[in-house]
Formats: sequence, C-alpha cells, structure tokens
Amino acid sequence: MKKLLIHILITVGLFFVIDRATGLLLKHLYNQSNATSEYKIGYANAETTEDILLFGSSRCLHHIIPSVFEEAYGMTCFNAADWGIKNIYYHYGLLGNILSRYTPKVIIFEIHPCDYLDTPYSGRERAGSLAPFCGMSKECDEMLKKSGNYWPYKFSTVYRYTGSLPALLFGRWGSMDRRLKGWKPLDGQLDTTGLKAEEFPFPVHQEKLLLLEQFIQICQAKGIRLCLIVSPMYICTEQDVFKVPRNLANQYNISFFDYFHDPQFVGHAELFYDYGHLNRKGATIFSKKICNDLKDFLKPSFP
Amino acid sequence: MVVNSLAFLWFFLFVMVVYYLCQTKKVAQNVFLLGCSYWFYSQVDIWMAGLLVVMTIVFWLLGKGIYHYMEQEDERKASLLTTIGVIIGIGALFYFKYLNFFADSVATFATFLGFHMSWTTLHLVVPIGLSFFTFKLMSYVLDIHHGKVLPDNGLNGFICFANYIAFFPTILSGPIDRPKPFLTQANVARLFNPDQLMTGFRRVLWGMFLKMCIADRLDIYISAIWNNYEHHSAISILFASLLYPLQLYADFGGYSEMAIGVALMLGFKVAENFKRPFFVLDIASYWSRWHMSLTSWLTDYVFLPLNIKYRDWGIYGTIFAIMLNMTFIGLWHGANWTFLLFGIYHGLWYIPLMVSGSFLKKRKIKVNAYGWPKQQYVWKMIGIYFIISFGLMLFHSATIGEFWHICERMTTHWQGGLFTDMSTMVNAAICLIALIYVDIQEEWFPKFQLPLPQKFNHWRWELTVSVEIVAILLFGVFDNNQFIYFQF
Repeated sequence: MKKLLIHILITVGLFFVIDRATGLLLKHLYNQSNATSEYKIGYANAETTEDILLFGSSRCLHHIIPSVFEEAYGMTCFNAADWGIKNIYYHYGLLGNILSRYTPKVIIFEIHPCDYLDTPYSGRERAGSLAPFCGMSKECDEMLKKSGNYWPYKFSTVYRYTGSLPALLFGRWGSMDRRLKGWKPLDGQLDTTGLKAEEFPFPVHQEKLLLLEQFIQICQAKGIRLCLIVSPMYICTEQDVFKVPRNLANQYNISFFDYFHDPQFVGHAELFYDYGHLNRKGATIFSKKICNDLKDFLKPSFP
Repeated sequence: MVVNSLAFLWFFLFVMVVYYLCQTKKVAQNVFLLGCSYWFYSQVDIWMAGLLVVMTIVFWLLGKGIYHYMEQEDERKASLLTTIGVIIGIGALFYFKYLNFFADSVATFATFLGFHMSWTTLHLVVPIGLSFFTFKLMSYVLDIHHGKVLPDNGLNGFICFANYIAFFPTILSGPIDRPKPFLTQANVARLFNPDQLMTGFRRVLWGMFLKMCIADRLDIYISAIWNNYEHHSAISILFASLLYPLQLYADFGGYSEMAIGVALMLGFKVAENFKRPFFVLDIASYWSRWHMSLTSWLTDYVFLPLNIKYRDWGIYGTIFAIMLNMTFIGLWHGANWTFLLFGIYHGLWYIPLMVSGSFLKKRKIKVNAYGWPKQQYVWKMIGIYFIISFGLMLFHSATIGEFWHICERMTTHWQGGLFTDMSTMVNAAICLIALIYVDIQEEWFPKFQLPLPQKFNHWRWELTVSVEIVAILLFGVFDNNQFIYFQF
C-alpha cells in the first residue's frame, strides 16, 4: 500500500509539472498565434488598451473597421468580435477579463439573436473559448462554471487548450493581419440563388437576458459608454427579431442603432459575401455610415 | 455510464475501496461485485437488468441439470438440456436482434414472388450487451457439457457464475470471456496487488487514449465525409474509407483495453481482444488478431464442430464450415444485409488460403538485419489493409444501396480534391503516430524501451502515466462517449 501511495504521489507531482510546463508552452504559442480565433480571443482578453472596443459575433468581426473610427475621432479602437456564433456567455466573461485590466471608454455591442434567444446552436458551451483565461476575472470564471468545465480547466492548464495544438503550432502563419486591429475582411460576392430569410422561431432565454442586463449594468457602473447596434442582412425576416434588445436599451437609456432593414444594404448583393456577412466593400460603407451616425453618441468620449 | 466518463471514475473508486476492504472474505467480495455489476447495468436499462437476472438463473439451472445428467451418464438428457440452453440463447438473440429483419426480408421476398405478406415492425429495445452476455451464457452450458467446467453448487458458485455473466467491465462490449478462467479466479479472494493495479491503470489510460484521441478524433473527419458522401469527391471517400479501420481499431480496441484494465484492477485477467491486427499477411491471421474473443468463441463452438461434421467432404467441408462461420461473424454484428455480406466477403478471402493449403500454416513476417519487416512483407500487409478497408466499407454502410452509391461515386467523381479539416487531421495524425509506434515496438521490438536518464529510469511508470494523461487532455475529444460496438 505504501509503495502504491508513493507511486501515486510521484505521478501526481510529475503530472502537475508536465501539465504546467506544457501549459506555459501552449500559452506562449497561443499569444503568438495569428489564427483568427486565437489572436482575436487572446488579444481581446489579455492585451487590449484601446478606447473603443467592438463586441459581437462574426457579423461584427467582418463588418466594422476599427481604423475608420480611429481616423474619424482620434481614438484607438479594436474589433474584439470573433466568429463561431459567440454569444453573451462569452461576451460577459470577456468584459470581466478586460475590466480586470483597464476600463475602455466606449463599447459598441453588435447584438445577435443568439445573445438573448434560446437557439439550439449557441448556448453556454460558447464560454469555453474563455478557457485559456480561467482565473482571470470573477465574470470569466462564472461563465466557465456555466459551461460546465471550470474545474477541469482549474485542474489542468493543458486542458484549456484541448484539441488546439495544430492551430497553435501553425498559428504564426494564420490569416489575421494584426494591422487591421481585429477586423477580418471578406472578399467575394454573394450568390443569391435560392436564398431565404433566416427565421428565429426561438423563445427568449432568461439566463442570457439576465446576463445581457448585467453586461449593461456593469458598463454603466464603470462609466463606459455603451451602445447596441444591429448590422444589416441581405435578406431579412419580417419578424421583429430585435424587440428584446430594443426594449432593454430603452429601459437602461442606452443608444440602439438598428440597420437590420437598412435599404442601403438590404438586397444589394454586391455588398455581401454571404446573406449574413458584408464583404470588404460593404463593410467599408457600413463602417463609415455607423461612424458618422455614432458621432453624437461618441462625442462625450472625444479626447 | 461509460468507462471513460467522470461518473464511472467515481463509481469505480467507490467499488475499489469497498472491494478491497472485504478482500479476505471471498463471498462478501463476490456479492459486492455482483451488486455493483447489476447497479452498473441497471443504469443503462433497469428492465433489461431483470432480463439478465432471469437468463442467469435459467442458465445456472440448466448447467446444474446438465452436470447432474452427465454424472448419471445420461448423455441424451444432458444433450437435450444443452440444446435447450443454446436454443434459449439463440432465441433471445433472434427475438431481440433479428426478428424484424428476418420477417421483413421474408415479407419482401414473398411480395417479390407475387404473394401478399406484410409485417408490422416490432419496436423492440435490444438489451445493451446482449450479443456479448448470451455468448457467455451459451459457452457456460456447452463447456459443462464438454466437461470443461464443473458447476459449483453452493451459493458462492451461483454468485461467481452471475458475476461471470454480469461482470461490469465486460458486460457492455466484451471481451467475451470463457467460463473456466473467470470462475477459477472468482473462486478465490482477490487480494490487493499494487503491481496489478498499476498495470491495469496503464491499460485503462491507453484505452482512453485510443478511444478519445484517435477514434473520436477520426470520427469527426470520417463522419463528415461518410454522412455526406454525395457531396464529396472519390479521393475524400477513399481516404475516409482507409482511415475507418484505424478508427474502428482505436474505438473497439480502446474499449477492450479499458475493460481489460479495469478487470485487472479488480484482480481478474480477462480474455485479450486485439493483437496488432494490421500486421498480418492474410485474412485468417487478421481474424486471429481482431476481436479475438469473438473469433475464438465461434471457432470453438461453430467452426470446429462443423468442420468435424463435414470432414468427409474434404476441402469443401472446410470451406463450407468457414463460410458459415464468417457469415455468423458478420451477422453477429447486427441484422442487416451489409453485415451478412461483410461476413461472406471475409469468408471468400479464406478460399484461396484453403485451396493453396496455407490456411492453418502460420505465415511469419520475416525481418531484415535491423529487425524491421522485409519490404515484400510490408507491401503484403498494405495489400491486406486495403482488403480489410473495402470490407469495412460494407460494415460502415447503413444499407446495401448506400454501399453501392459510395462505390459508384468512388469510381466516377475523381474531380475535386481531398476534403481537409486541418486541425482534426493533424491532431489525429500525431496520435496515430503514437499508436503505430507502440504497435511496431510490441510486434517487432518487444524488449525495446525508450531510453531514459539513469535517475528517471525507476520513474518510468509515473512518467508514462503522466504523459499519457497530459496527451489525453491535449488531444482528446471529450464530448463523444458513444462506442461503435455498443450497438452490437
């Protein structure tokens, strides 16, 4: 028995050393990576110092060009959005991690139905992307607990990077251009054959809604100017999909900019890459438009 | 609750502690083990645990009856009871697994001949592990009849037998153990043995690595192609088909390793199931290394009796026996024409071996001066791998139609490149290299060990275990707990 206990103790010790050492190496590779998710998540959570931060899903990632804001207002800006239908579980944890380092002046949140609806394709598991930052902030840990993996992440540093070794090994040659400050342009034009408007026949998800409210409350408590915006789609449902965030914006007296049905974009295939994402040309026009429309909102934050 | 889950870990830790606390009391240890096995099985389906109890009691009584008549030298009654046992076993399999398939096929055939016949499909839930535990039950009565096993009449004898049938590490997916070795071990108290515990734990970890890092990783890629084959090029389908034998090996081999490891930690040595099955020169050798416990079961209870019965037919008798045996192997996997053809396909590959007289000859892979297999043998092994891969395309297809469409697409759609999912492919490739390394080392360099600095040499077990856990955490897929062989 004594012999076995010694074996177990040595194994636990060795595991701890190997796990932590490998974890450090993986963290280094993660920070060096230019692959879209690793770079976006890594920089947004651990390195941002910008005045304006853009939050949202892949639509924000592809639609809003930070340099347009920087040139117009002389403020630094970073697009912190990521693809993979990230939702409020991720955004809430991300906000916590950012606030544990500094307080940005402005947050522009490009809202997506997955941030408040009970969709089958974007739930609590999306918080898993915060795994490398386990322990960084209370909010981040809270979201990791909801994703069900907090204790495994605490137990093993390596597990935080599970399955991502290839992306980390080849991450240096990833497709993100760091000069674009988080924006990822899409080149190409939409093929409109057989397109139908996307419907969202899902009920409101009470936990997501509560987190969205808490997100707003934290921003207001920290003196961050927050606005919600909705990007255009090539083809839109008649359903009032954004009623919930609009009501929330009214309730908390924050700005809400809705471009979902904007005729400047809707039906203009030349501005879209696919039915939900603007291409480079569309993104440039859209960014300039919102930059101009947000002038009054941003004014109090001007340097 | 599957072996590679957190729930199983807690369950097993509890079992281990109590199990070894009563190590000096054999009966208490067996009763506790039986309770745990039934609790484990009832987690899958409590009603099916009832069926297991009934089948166990029936076969126990049959075993006693057979032995009683054997002692009285009443061979006729002993044979009758043995036949009843086999009929009950096959009947249970037939009812739960094959009735719908058989009735549907008869109805379709009758309609084809112009008769009107219809069959309303029965919604039967196949008890998980049925194919495994019915084979164990049948081998018990057959072995008593053949004088290989002596039934123990006491309460402990019944508990040992019930443990043999319901033993939780192996009930869901094998290996299909034989009664004698298991009952002999169950009849003595299993004492706490740290060395056995450590060896068992390593086998569990290796099984987890195979399952979670290779099988489940490959599954992501292969399923993406196989489930949407109509959108994929011939090259992608071919590549996925060539990867599938490795996925199946890692999946079932992984499960077997975990089962054997857990059993070993409880003091039981159960049957081995895989022995580097792709390092072979013919199909016969492949089946002597793939799902060995099933193959040896069917060899002993189906092939050999048939071969003896038809020995007057000469080589044709052997061919008939092997074709029937392989058809059973195919159908054992499920009630589907694809499995039937899978069995026949493998049976056909035996014919050249029998005609050339090399069926029972051991064909050894010759090695060069460095201990590696010679080039011509490597080519032969690759050739056999292709044959196996083609057979497993049948195994993998849901219907004959699907198999046909896939083959058709593989011959016509050569335009379009290889479907790449770089992350999955690189993760799987790294782990496959580890598997191939270990298999090559065990096959041709069994004495070789990775050199370690002198002071770390006596920490080899600890280092291996730590690295394996880290590898599982880094490369594993943690949201797929389904084993392919659970459906059989």
